[in-house]
Amino acid sequence: MSGTSGTSGARMDGAGVSGTGVSGTSGARGTDGLALATRGLSKSYGSRRALNGLDLSVPTGVVYGFLGPNGAGKTTTMRVLTGLIHADGGTVEVLGKPFRRGDRHRLFEVGALVESPTFYPYLSARANLRELAASGAHVPSKRIEELLDLVGLCDRASDKVQGYSMGMKQRLGIAAALLSDPKLLLLDEPANGLDPAGIVAMRDTLRALASQGKTVFVSSHLLAEIQVMADVVGIIAAGKLVREGQLKELLSMQGVVKVRVRPNLVDGAIATLAPFARAERLTETDREEGWLSVHLATDRAEQVNQTLAGAGIYASGLESGTDLEMLFLELTGGQRPSSSEGEFVGLGSPNGAEDGGAPAGKGTAA
Amino acid sequence: MRLFFSGIRKLYRRPATFVTFGLLVGLIVLILILAGATANSTVGNGNGGGQSSRAAIKDLLTFPGAYDRMLSVVVSIGGLFGMVYGAAIAGSEWSWGTLKSAVARGESRVRYMLLTYASIGLLIAIGIVVAFVVALVTAVISANLAGISTSGLNDASTLSDLPERLLKGWVAVMEETALGFAIATLARSQLAGIGAGIAFYFGESFASLLLPNIVKFMPFSVANAALSSGSSGLGSGGQAIAALPADQALVLVFVWLIGCLVVVSLFADRAEITG
Repeated sequence: MSGTSGTSGARMDGAGVSGTGVSGTSGARGTDGLALATRGLSKSYGSRRALNGLDLSVPTGVVYGFLGPNGAGKTTTMRVLTGLIHADGGTVEVLGKPFRRGDRHRLFEVGALVESPTFYPYLSARANLRELAASGAHVPSKRIEELLDLVGLCDRASDKVQGYSMGMKQRLGIAAALLSDPKLLLLDEPANGLDPAGIVAMRDTLRALASQGKTVFVSSHLLAEIQVMADVVGIIAAGKLVREGQLKELLSMQGVVKVRVRPNLVDGAIATLAPFARAERLTETDREEGWLSVHLATDRAEQVNQTLAGAGIYASGLESGTDLEMLFLELTGGQRPSSSEGEFVGLGSPNGAEDGGAPAGKGTAA
Repeated sequence: MRLFFSGIRKLYRRPATFVTFGLLVGLIVLILILAGATANSTVGNGNGGGQSSRAAIKDLLTFPGAYDRMLSVVVSIGGLFGMVYGAAIAGSEWSWGTLKSAVARGESRVRYMLLTYASIGLLIAIGIVVAFVVALVTAVISANLAGISTSGLNDASTLSDLPERLLKGWVAVMEETALGFAIATLARSQLAGIGAGIAFYFGESFASLLLPNIVKFMPFSVANAALSSGSSGLGSGGQAIAALPADQALVLVFVWLIGCLVVVSLFADRAEITG
């Protein structure tokens, strides 16, 4: 985890820690300590049920990773939480108070980036923020300059947004979400289009906000990004919450030890390691390469090695880690992408590597 | 008020504002200059058509009546441009997603849309006055080109009525703008709003040939009738049609205007903002 503490966020141009940052306020206090809660949230588009009794409990002062496969209902949830659409049923509480149709003032303490960032293309970044600040809660004018600095757009702040790259628009979108110094920040795929330095800085900024007591709700399909950033995760599938909890706790139940033996010894290794895990938790990842995966606590990697050696099978590779991707796929009924077969399952995913994200796991390589 | 002034700042910097105004003024100047420059040559044709054209041009450029004619030209052409402009502004709020950003900040959808319309109203008021002044200046130049006297330019009675006439003209254009604004809001798209608005304009014009007694109640016809002083007026396509009395037409202008804004408010309030 690379979060910064204190009141400053890291500049998203990767130029280091800004002195301006986001001015701190005391954390939001919600009913039962929740910054955001949904109960039985449902929403249908015609005959298609997008949300099916969604119950989310987002504690105050955390980075909450909101995960789900495509079409699971993440964006629908974000739209309901920002009042863009109305749920068919269920309740939403924002910062401890009910958020119903007509309770738009509740959003004065909420910042949001829903789907892609949207701006007037013929206005500059500065003018866009100024005009957006004219809606909703009051924003001090100096706040705009602070935010432009925070997201690393000071030098281009007078340029028209129509000339911006996707990453620059994304930075501006994050600045727009932070305009009102929100107690609750709702971000939909905030890493979209950001370069690696931007992703790292964005992550640091969000961690810094959480350390100030603000709540950051991040919807993402980048598991690697969520794994290094979030304190709490909620995973949804088919419009329902399938798992929610502290990331560390969830991952501690999701350890993977990966062993590489000579291909002709794979069967022997499976028989030897069978007592370590239930049969379905011991898998051949790649027989040709001789990789086996055993799902068990990562601190038992040494025991696995010892047992194999005792049976005369010497591992040429042994790695251990925890894997959000594994948990995600298990809970959402998804299939592991074929591209990751034969690779270490706990450290680094193709997504994380491409997007400049940090490794997906926290394991050690032997 | 900050939302209203923000709306004005956004419109002031928007290229569409100056393009629309430039086209309106350019078209008016072109029509009037051509009228003045060709007035004498039409006489030379020596046929009845030429004489009636000469009479029409003389009627157009002779003061003090030219004040009314210029206002009619500005409102008639300005109404079409106002509708397109209104559709462009309302449609872009949906297609660019800028309404979405404001709503996600807790802004009232209805307030946002109505204040956006109000800020359009201020710019249109300025646009009408400037276009009217340009039209007057051009009319004087054209009258001189055509050898028509401008002695009625200082007619006190006409000048004293001018503010009220301009106000009515502004209301008429605002009604047509509201129509474009409402269509684009329903379509959630700039292009669809502009396209449907133009189709409505010309559709009303064509329909006036077949159903004049119905079309006289339609938005473009009532807007033109609200400014006319006779029993007939210019239809949306410029042709003479049976028109309502000006007072009755003005009431209908308000009905259409308020109706369009009610549609905008209801739709914006209930719409699911996606994409």
